[in-house]
Amino acid sequence: MPAVLVDGLTKRWGARVALRGVSFTVERGEIVGLLGPNGAGKSTTLGVLATQLPFDRGRVVIADRELPRDAGAARRVVGLVPQQIALYPTLSAEENLRFFGRAAGLTAAAAAVAAATALARFGLAERAREPIARLSVGMRRRLNLACGILHAPAIVLLDEPVVGVDPQSRERIFAAVQELARGGAAVVYSTHQMEEAERLCGRIVLLDGGEVRAAGTPAALVAATGLVPHVRLRTIRSLGPGWLDGVAGARVVTLADGACDVALADASAVPAVLAAADRGGGRLVEFQVVRPNLADAFLALTGHALRDDDLA
Amino acid sequence: MLAGFRAALAKDVRLLVRDGVGLVFLTVAPIVVITVAGLSLANLYGPDAGASPIVLPLVDADGGRVGRAIAERLAAEPAVRAEPVADADAARRRVREKAAAAALVVPAGTTDAIAAGRPARLVVFTDPVRTFELARVRLLVEELRHAVQAGLRDAAAGELDAARARADAARADLDRTLDRLRADVARLAAARAAARAQSAAAKREASARVDAARKRLAARLVPLRTFLADLEARRTTFDAWLAEVRKQAGRFADRVPPPPAPPVVPPEVAALAAADERTLLARLLPDDGALASLARVDLPPPPRLPAVELPASPDVRLPGALAAEETSVSGAPRTPNPFDQNVPGFAITFLLLGVLLGVSLALLDERDWGTLDRLRATRTPLGAVLGAKLVARAAVGLAQMALLFAVGRLAFDVSLGRAPWALVLPTAGIVAAGTAFGLVVAGATASREAVLPVGSIVILTMAAAGGCWWPIDLEPRWMRRAALAFPTTWAMDAYNDLMIRREPPQAVLRATAALAAFAVLYLAAGLLLFRRRVRRG
Repeated sequence: MPAVLVDGLTKRWGARVALRGVSFTVERGEIVGLLGPNGAGKSTTLGVLATQLPFDRGRVVIADRELPRDAGAARRVVGLVPQQIALYPTLSAEENLRFFGRAAGLTAAAAAVAAATALARFGLAERAREPIARLSVGMRRRLNLACGILHAPAIVLLDEPVVGVDPQSRERIFAAVQELARGGAAVVYSTHQMEEAERLCGRIVLLDGGEVRAAGTPAALVAATGLVPHVRLRTIRSLGPGWLDGVAGARVVTLADGACDVALADASAVPAVLAAADRGGGRLVEFQVVRPNLADAFLALTGHALRDDDLA
Repeated sequence: MLAGFRAALAKDVRLLVRDGVGLVFLTVAPIVVITVAGLSLANLYGPDAGASPIVLPLVDADGGRVGRAIAERLAAEPAVRAEPVADADAARRRVREKAAAAALVVPAGTTDAIAAGRPARLVVFTDPVRTFELARVRLLVEELRHAVQAGLRDAAAGELDAARARADAARADLDRTLDRLRADVARLAAARAAARAQSAAAKREASARVDAARKRLAARLVPLRTFLADLEARRTTFDAWLAEVRKQAGRFADRVPPPPAPPVVPPEVAALAAADERTLLARLLPDDGALASLARVDLPPPPRLPAVELPASPDVRLPGALAAEETSVSGAPRTPNPFDQNVPGFAITFLLLGVLLGVSLALLDERDWGTLDRLRATRTPLGAVLGAKLVARAAVGLAQMALLFAVGRLAFDVSLGRAPWALVLPTAGIVAAGTAFGLVVAGATASREAVLPVGSIVILTMAAAGGCWWPIDLEPRWMRRAALAFPTTWAMDAYNDLMIRREPPQAVLRATAALAAFAVLYLAAGLLLFRRRVRRG
């Protein structure tokens, strides 16, 4: 039995269907990304997994606890890191940690030890006694994560945990998530940032409109869409017809006014294409190799972009 | 600049119109408060302003004129609804059960005492908490007292007037009779004087005739007296001669024959000769006969005394004074310290502000901060989270109430009642109810912005209608009944029982139970609403 089993999950908000037969699994030690645009159903899925939301149909099992029947038992093994910085602003970092440790079932002493460990691990020890309202967003994000995993949960649910953070904090958070997985936790990582998903997640579930559009490793998802790498060239003089003849696995997609887009069967053909352009008398000014990614795969699968700025 | 101003103005108007909560706060909240306050204070402006008449249990143990007069006047008084009850104990019970602010007893013998000129007292049983109704009852009793006394005085004055009229008529009759009597007496006096003169003349004439008769008698007695004197002298001489004869006869004296006896003078003759003329005249001419025949005068008959009927003494007395004696049914002071009302009243108001808004805003904070959702994903049940929140707020509320009562005691000398510890009962009750209601507000409102108007309306309504700001007896009866739906009403009733009425702790058990019931009800409703809202997200 996987650590997390979601099978045919359906959730309605009145007449609106938020989740429509969503299915996926997460194994122990695995990081699975829920990737999709805003409104795709990521947070609703996490809400169901965190036992916060009831669902209408389907089967959800958390660490062998069937929901909603065993929700109480499931909560013992779940660690939720919400998208919002869900902390008490007038309490200090240490007080927040101790409180959430106690709420998660740790004894007072164990919570104190765990809080001290977390403060050190997330670089917050020096600011441990300050009200968190005085901490930077990055620090609060780190603390937000720390509060969710203080009790070493077997299932970790992360809802866009690095929104608005500085690179330093993001790296610490990424490191912590990877460490959790290495420790055997099953991690569900919700994001609409393709880069985060590609970097952290072994598998990705692409959600759109409450449905799973595709699932698998990032490479498999891209491959499944049939997208190929491109190389885009700019030359001083326009290349003439047939300039690419003889280069295996390459074909011209567009050619006009010193700009040329070439589709490649494999990125290894890029040097041959560049050599052909030089030979063709174009006098190369610049080139860009564009590899297909999850955003492209998402666009290919859904017909719309993962983020609004992806369209730009 | 003008274009910018117009655009900004249009924007602000649009923002205002779209701020539904703000509009509610601006309009509905004051309308609710105005309505509640206006209805609550309706009694201040009298029965015509929609107030209900005061219920006044009435005991007429007198059964006389005073009792009837009071009952009739009360029946004609629109501001009062007199309820006849059997006896003073029943009247006292009605006040003690808070069915009335006061009860009026006309004790037995009141009419008789007043009629006899002795003072009498009406007895008024009072509930010192219901000061407003009491003031009206006091005023009414004073009016009754004055009216009854004025009635009795008028009646006495009427009787005195009638007696005076009867006395005047009798006096006039007496005057006329006396005049007639005086005339008769004058006539009698004149007749008597005339008779006296006539009698004196007759007496003089009779006296003269007597003197003449005496003189004649004296003259006629002289020869007799002379004869008798001569006879006596001759008898003496004879005796002397006889004695000489015998002497000379010597031894033969016994042979001398006794001399012949001289004639015996009859005693009447001797007495007649010895008597003086006056005696003889008196004997011969007795006064009555002689004078009566001489001085008989006809006097007028004595005047007939008229039969004068004087009126009997009027049986009229000035009525005795009628006083009113107030007795607090619980033995509490007649006039309470105003802070005994205000300290608990405003303490409850601010307690509600603290716990009701505190709980609801704190829960909304938890929702807004996301901590509530986070906690719901932990092993700590939502009930425990909410319970901890409520208990913490309730503890603050208890501390707040304790502080306010301590200040009230030290600064304003408020009464803590017979058993100060008993104040814990209503305090715990209202704290629990207010805290739990905070959960209801948190469950019923979607945002912090909505809590303020909803919470304000609830708090102001509960406080105003529940008698926190003014004695609840200011309110019309229907509103007092409606206010039983608010925990503030029960709490204030309990505080009034303990602090003003000085009732024992048992007296507030019912109110405390009601407050506990409110707390349970609010808690159940709050949990239901809050869970639903949380699950809705």
